[in-house]
Amino acid sequence: MPGERIIKFHESRGARTTIVEYIIAIALTGCVTALSLAIEPVVGHAAVSSLYLLLVVVAGFRFKRESVLFVAASSTLAWYTVFIPPRFSFQIGTVEDALIFASFFAVVVAMGHLTSRLHLKEVAERMRERRTAALYELVHQAGLAADLDSGLTAAVKLTETLFGVRAALLLSRSDGDLAVDAHPASSFQLSKRDSAAAAWAFGMRRAAGKFTENHPNASALHLPLLTGSAAMGVLSVLPAAGAAFDRSERELLEAFAVLIGTILERDHLHQDLKRAEIIKASERLQRALLQSVSHELKTPLSAVQAGIEALRREVGSPRSQAALSESRQALRRLHRMINNLLDMTRIESGVIHPNLDWCDVAELIQAATDLAADGIGETLVAIELDANLPLIRVDQPLLEQCLCNLLLNASANSASRAKVVIRARVAARQLFLSVLDEGSGISEADLPRIFGAFQRGAAATTGGTGLGLAIVEGFVLAHGGSISAANRPSGGAEFTMKIPVETLQQEVLERLA
Amino acid sequence: MKEKATALVIDDEPQIRRLLRILLEQEQYRALESDTGRHGLSEIALRRPEVVLLDLGLPDMDGMAVLERLRQWSRVPVLILSVRDGPEDKVAALDAGADDFVTKPFESAELLARLRAIQRRVQVSAEEAVFEAGHLVVDFNSHTVKVKGREVKLTATEYALLKLLALHAGKVVTHKQLLREVWGPNAEEQSQYLRVYMMHLRKKIEIPDAAERLLRTESGIGYRLMIPRQKS
Repeated sequence: MPGERIIKFHESRGARTTIVEYIIAIALTGCVTALSLAIEPVVGHAAVSSLYLLLVVVAGFRFKRESVLFVAASSTLAWYTVFIPPRFSFQIGTVEDALIFASFFAVVVAMGHLTSRLHLKEVAERMRERRTAALYELVHQAGLAADLDSGLTAAVKLTETLFGVRAALLLSRSDGDLAVDAHPASSFQLSKRDSAAAAWAFGMRRAAGKFTENHPNASALHLPLLTGSAAMGVLSVLPAAGAAFDRSERELLEAFAVLIGTILERDHLHQDLKRAEIIKASERLQRALLQSVSHELKTPLSAVQAGIEALRREVGSPRSQAALSESRQALRRLHRMINNLLDMTRIESGVIHPNLDWCDVAELIQAATDLAADGIGETLVAIELDANLPLIRVDQPLLEQCLCNLLLNASANSASRAKVVIRARVAARQLFLSVLDEGSGISEADLPRIFGAFQRGAAATTGGTGLGLAIVEGFVLAHGGSISAANRPSGGAEFTMKIPVETLQQEVLERLA
Repeated sequence: MKEKATALVIDDEPQIRRLLRILLEQEQYRALESDTGRHGLSEIALRRPEVVLLDLGLPDMDGMAVLERLRQWSRVPVLILSVRDGPEDKVAALDAGADDFVTKPFESAELLARLRAIQRRVQVSAEEAVFEAGHLVVDFNSHTVKVKGREVKLTATEYALLKLLALHAGKVVTHKQLLREVWGPNAEEQSQYLRVYMMHLRKKIEIPDAAERLLRTESGIGYRLMIPRQKS
């Protein structure tokens, strides 16, 4: 890539041994001694000592600790032997000589020590700088990439250039397992042994493979891409033959793995957000569509109904009144049908989300009975409630509609003036709401498909839409519950809704209030 | 004969407007019509109708917006007349200042009862000391409640609840409104209290075999104290 800064982290450092450095040290001391001999007649023997000091300082920047000490010792010895009178002899005759010798040695050692420490600091500083630059580079190239794949490709390339290795990425799949195939950006395919090591690293959330205690016979090092909550995959690095990672390289690699994990996590969150937005937008559209269909169907219906009612209020012949009354009944049926179709559409497009609030079961049943009153005619409704029912958190309008439909269904399948029982109890954080009739029951053939849309029992009276029970099932399912139908041993049918609920005992409330 | 009240119908469907006019004129109202929200607002300002029937789906602006703008300068009773039948829509309209709602298609009798109830709210004044509905009598001066002529004891909270419903008799009062006025502004979300007290109130003032129950549940919205039609 032109114009791009590539920081090489991995470089071959001089692997000079101490012996080689000692030889170089002796050679350098010899050179300095020769130079000093040449200029000594001009500057005097005291001044040449500074040349030796210079040598030690230079050695401090280039050599190892012990070699610097060696240079210091050899320089002191050379200076003393060659230049301190008597020349070319190592004699410490006087106290003065001993003092000169000792103090020069001390100064030289101190100088060597200080410079070599400075040097080490500088090396560490340079290392840190490289590390920061490498991480910055990763964020810049991979984190800010236009899409995830080009970001991961950049991350793999950068890892390879910086560490002189080949790299592969294995990502976690949506089912939570590690993918078997490496990401296309990878530059090598994992062997069986490496795959096992990678899977271990992913599962245990710890490094595995070469240079570790886990699966050490693998040829690559496998680092899990860890984020705060999960492992997003594995970064596998295959070092060149014979190469190893030192501590700082290993740390940097681990930092890379964390950063790549974070990039992946960010992408996942972004994807989730996008999906949620799409669902929301499509629900909005569905709602708008339903609202507009509802408006188009119900507006003319309203006009017809208002017209019929206006006519009914005018005095007319009994015959015309009877005709109007029939039309009104038919219109109500049409209205019910339209409502049921709209409800069914709402259920099928999944836009029903229960709106939970505290509810008194007795009130719910009463309201449902009121709602059904028009449609159940002479049917007698008996309500059997457990004493001391707690308050429950449900979508009351939704359940009222369910209960109303079950009542209408029971009434349609019963003789006129028959009894229908509503029974309610709460147990184990569940509301059981049953409607029992004394009608003809459900035929064995109808039982399995009784909640299907447009299914009507053979014995059903006219006027039903065939959608009532399907709507009940849809609403109950949307509420996280279930519904069952059965024949009673004593004759008639029994429908039971089972709804999971949060409960609140009334005594608790009364104490609070 | 009493003076005719003026009712303004704001609806974009001409058929609905014409049929409502017939219904209203049968009931001795003077009817005005508007086909847009903007025109409706200026009609209310100019002609000062006694009651407004407002559709929510208007071509120029949403009915909710009409309501919000109207409530900045007028307290005229507004009845929402809309095909939108979700509890959320109704609660939103009531919160925005509507007095009640009727969903389309509507029963004429119900529509007229609601109109009477929301007009009554304006006419009721504090001096009216006794409220009567069917077998129930509430005396606001002596704080006494009688059911079928027999006095029943209510707790302070039960009485406050009943009084609020009685002052808005015939008209829906939202859960939020009841909680705010009886339990205070911090209790708006504490619907569990309302449920328990309504349960108690029902036990004390309803008669099991009465032809019509007084306390009606408007599921997901609120409660309504019904005024049974006087047998004449």
